[in-house]
Amino acid sequence: MDRTKQISEAIVQLKWDEIAALTNEALEAGIPALKILDQGLVPGMSAVGIKFRDGEVFLPELLLSAKTMKTALEILLPILSQQGTGFIGRVIIGTVSGDLHDIGRKIVASMLQGNGFEVIDLGIDVDPEKFVEVVRDNDVQILGLSALLTSTMPMMEATIKALEKARLRQKVKVMVGGASVTQAYADRIGADGYGADAVAAVEKARALISTQPH
Amino acid sequence: MFRVLERKEPDMVPHFELGIDRKVMNKILPGASFEEFIEHMDWDALMSIDRDFWEVEVLDESRRIFRDEWGTLKSYTHEYVPVPLEATIKSEKELENYQPPDPDKESRFEQIQRWVKRYEGERAIIAMVMDHNSMSSDILGFEERLMAFYTNPELVLRVHQMVLDYFLRYINNVIEAGADIILIGGDWAYKNGPMFSLEHYHKFVLPPFKAMVQQAKKRGVYVMKHSDGNCWSFLDSIIEAGVDGFHPIDPTADMDIGEVKQKYGDRLCLIGNVDCAATLSFGTVEEVRQETKDVIRKAGVGGGLIVASSNTIHSAVKPENYVEMVRTIREYGRYPLDIKALG
Repeated sequence: MDRTKQISEAIVQLKWDEIAALTNEALEAGIPALKILDQGLVPGMSAVGIKFRDGEVFLPELLLSAKTMKTALEILLPILSQQGTGFIGRVIIGTVSGDLHDIGRKIVASMLQGNGFEVIDLGIDVDPEKFVEVVRDNDVQILGLSALLTSTMPMMEATIKALEKARLRQKVKVMVGGASVTQAYADRIGADGYGADAVAAVEKARALISTQPH
Repeated sequence: MFRVLERKEPDMVPHFELGIDRKVMNKILPGASFEEFIEHMDWDALMSIDRDFWEVEVLDESRRIFRDEWGTLKSYTHEYVPVPLEATIKSEKELENYQPPDPDKESRFEQIQRWVKRYEGERAIIAMVMDHNSMSSDILGFEERLMAFYTNPELVLRVHQMVLDYFLRYINNVIEAGADIILIGGDWAYKNGPMFSLEHYHKFVLPPFKAMVQQAKKRGVYVMKHSDGNCWSFLDSIIEAGVDGFHPIDPTADMDIGEVKQKYGDRLCLIGNVDCAATLSFGTVEEVRQETKDVIRKAGVGGGLIVASSNTIHSAVKPENYVEMVRTIREYGRYPLDIKALG
């Protein structure tokens, strides 16, 4: 099995304690960091994402495979930054409310990372003003908003309005998600994308990034 | 209440809520205490929550960060349940030095004792505990613990045992204090299904849960289990463990209460499931009335139904909708049920 395939297998098989060695060996064998990302990490995380969506694996598996992927990514990152390349885009993600159940956002963040995005995760309880500030101060293509409770979904609309007011709305594509969020709601508030689950979110993000200059 | 938990037909479909936001209460009965409110709405049960009596140490007033008596760092947000910020125990070594709270501390049981004096014979007193699954998630960190199913299962099992020891004593104590029902909280599933595989469920979740259920059952006390999400795959095993009632039958997670009634109605009392995410928050009064009637029609025949919202009456629920829900239960919930009228 070639080394990048070994790495994507390791992510699927939850080889959290072997991945660092596998990654370093691949680099030493002369495989470019970008190739390890594109042909090792991305397919691995994608495969796990699909198994998760289809109910073949669950949260422990998803979380551990994401951790495995991140271990490899941490080794590759300094090399990739040096080369000034690697990420297909930068995403800012946050939960608009003080939500206890923020696992969904974290899953999407991990999946996006595993698919080659650079992700800035702002956590929970993020005000519209904070989102605007981070969008203003960073070179970012996608803003992802999550909300679990119907009572806090209006904060998504408020965030979009705040971006408009700050004249930053055109800078980013806004994606929304969360258990109570629907495509209809996304359309109503003028969001650019909605994903019903993490796999759909990543697919949508990939589609949107190809329309954003960066 | 008790007839319903035994799947017998009562006089009237009972009602209570796991929680109600103060703002909603104040709109319905301004300035009322919780007890005055539930008497006004005539709840059939009221619930005392273990977590409400944990001592907290405020660490940062402005950012509302505190440490609770289990040692977990948490933050208050504008929702009711505080959010854990970091794990309390990260290693075996930290577990060696860790001291769990005292399940015998008197202040935990004062509310139950008060309520028993005030309501005995009239309203059921429920004591709510978290399950070991959620409690140990707070202690080990939600994600860290799930990953530890693979990376450090021994640590997970040891923390489970420690938490279980607390809850077994606590359950004994609340029963001494007069609780009629134990409600075990803790979400096992979300919208799309369980949070863990069946294998992990049987290894990590079910055995301590069974122990908690049996601790109550052997003292003649009823047990309810709460979990949000799609819980279809757990129902057989929780019935086998001895659970009498299940809450809330999450309608946003593919759990139709009629279907659950068909498959499990003879073995499980159902508590739920008027949608508090959509109908109670954004629906019209007519929609609430219709949905409440639907729930009674689908799941009330023969008893075994307590009508409640699909989680709690949270801050976005329109007060008039909640009032209509209760009014509808009283109007249409008298046995024998008039199925035609519930159509």
